[in-house]
Amino acid sequence: MGLKILLVDDEQDFVETLSERLQMRDMDSYAVFDGKTALAQVRSHPPQVMIIDLKMPGMDGIQVLRQVKQTHPYIRVIILTGHGSEHDRKICMDLGASAYFQKPVDIDELNAAIRQGPGNGPPDADHPIDTGGNRT
Amino acid sequence: MISLQRLKPAFWNHADDPGNYSGLNLKRKWKLIVLLTSILALSPLIIMTLVDFNLTRRTIETESNTRMLNSLHTLAGIMAASLAQNPSTDSAHVLWQDAFHQLNTGPDNDLFLVDASGQPVTPSFHYDRKDGQATLDTRLFTQTDGIVDLQTPDGTAVLAGYARIPGTPLTLVQLRQADWLKDLWLKPRLKLLWFLCVSIVLILLSIMGMATYLVGRIHASERRRIEALHHEEHANRLASIGRLASGVAHEINNPLDIINQKTGLMVDLLTLGKEKSPDQRLLPLAEDVLDAVKRCGTITRQLLGFARHMEPSVEPVDIEEVISQVLALVETDAHHRNIAIRVSPIPAVPGFECDRSSLLQIFLNLAENAITAMASKGILTIEVSGEKTDQVTITVSDTGKGISPEDLPKIFEPFYSSRNDRWGAGLGLAITYGLIKEMGGDITVKSVVGKGTRFVLTLPVKASRPPASDGALHLPGSGIPVASTSKNTPQGAIHVTKQE
Repeated sequence: MGLKILLVDDEQDFVETLSERLQMRDMDSYAVFDGKTALAQVRSHPPQVMIIDLKMPGMDGIQVLRQVKQTHPYIRVIILTGHGSEHDRKICMDLGASAYFQKPVDIDELNAAIRQGPGNGPPDADHPIDTGGNRT
Repeated sequence: MISLQRLKPAFWNHADDPGNYSGLNLKRKWKLIVLLTSILALSPLIIMTLVDFNLTRRTIETESNTRMLNSLHTLAGIMAASLAQNPSTDSAHVLWQDAFHQLNTGPDNDLFLVDASGQPVTPSFHYDRKDGQATLDTRLFTQTDGIVDLQTPDGTAVLAGYARIPGTPLTLVQLRQADWLKDLWLKPRLKLLWFLCVSIVLILLSIMGMATYLVGRIHASERRRIEALHHEEHANRLASIGRLASGVAHEINNPLDIINQKTGLMVDLLTLGKEKSPDQRLLPLAEDVLDAVKRCGTITRQLLGFARHMEPSVEPVDIEEVISQVLALVETDAHHRNIAIRVSPIPAVPGFECDRSSLLQIFLNLAENAITAMASKGILTIEVSGEKTDQVTITVSDTGKGISPEDLPKIFEPFYSSRNDRWGAGLGLAITYGLIKEMGGDITVKSVVGKGTRFVLTLPVKASRPPASDGALHLPGSGIPVASTSKNTPQGAIHVTKQE
């Protein structure tokens, strides 16, 4: 089985389609539509990579990113937003996001960002994949 | 004319300055300052001069009268003594005829003798003996000597000094024209007048100079203030345009990425797909793409509405007609969603006028907003009341899902849209807000989550001014109309049940 990927975006149409496309690229992707569900999912079935939208009702992407990095620092987080300023980008990168994409995104670029970086295998307790702050 | 124009201070036509927001009339202010200061400064001067004037006049009058009386008295004494030495001569006028002839020098110095009956016995200018009626009223001469006012037979007002000659029935009379005194003190009077005039001119000049300086300073600071205001307005406008641009980018990026992913998936299905019949999946995907395109179209259309360049015109408007027009537009949609529309009887609002297209857009936005909030099943209620003579109150309420207290203060901000409403780009209420503010009206909102929302808008019956014609962007929060030079923009924006 491929990488375990959790997609978080309130645009259901979009996120489901993206999830399907990633599945077609041999990834085990799963889509949720808000931050709270995402965090619950992270607790029960921690993924290896997360793709998070910034602007969401309730808990926004930055809050999700911060919490995920606190509890599961090895999860690689990719930000994918339609409304991203340089300021947002800096905050996300400082919080430990590994990539920051502006919508509309090219699937190959996204694919490359998902697979890029050290260790694509499941997290190892002795050798965590990513402790955060990984620069792209 | 040219030099006068050049002398005019810069503030003189301030009221006509294009950026004069405060309605300050500096010309009037200047005039008021000059007038008040002049009255304050000049009135004591003029009063003092008048007092001095009267005092001088009285002094001169008294002095000359005393002098005349003294000389008459002395003369009468001499004559009496002379007559006493010549008792044989019973008629004094014979004795003094020549002397009086010499002394009598004309109308201003008419010196003569009269007998007890008032007949002149020596030549007199005013009382010629040949004229039978020319008698002096001797009853006026109540004392041995004095001064009285007289009217001569030829109608001249004179001052008559008299002195009875002791031991004779004769009275010595001296007539002087009443205005003779005036000539006497003309010189001091002229001096006083000169002094007064020069002082007045000097004081006025200094007052005007001071006022000009002061008002010039006010003008300069007013200028600076207006410039700062312009600057701020410009910065605000830029910020709003920035917000608008980033909002548009976001709202368009989302459907764009849907299109991107959907078409990508189509390609994937055809190239990578392991499904046996990918064709069946293509049609719904294509429909989704079309939906996303429609969504983009809605956003751009709303954007055009936001920057609309319609020529606004204030005209008498029948509210009922506008409402029925709007309802005709939303009826089908409401019917599909099983929404009932209730319009309470609309009272006639005589003389109501506004920009018709703006009102139409306001109602349309509010009605669409209400219908969207209800999704399916509900009641849309429109009430109009024109109880107050100067404003109309219109209430649009729905039984929809309501707006949470956190969101309530933000609903009039551009691109603020509840995410469940996927097709609204969040411009509708911002446009509505801007239009209402342009009309000089106000809108308030009350909402209970799960129960519904009620928008209450008040519009002035008489449009105070035509809406800005340059497609102004009124953005809540900025306070200042963006891309608009209209005056008196109401500050204080949105009234909501819960403020941030």
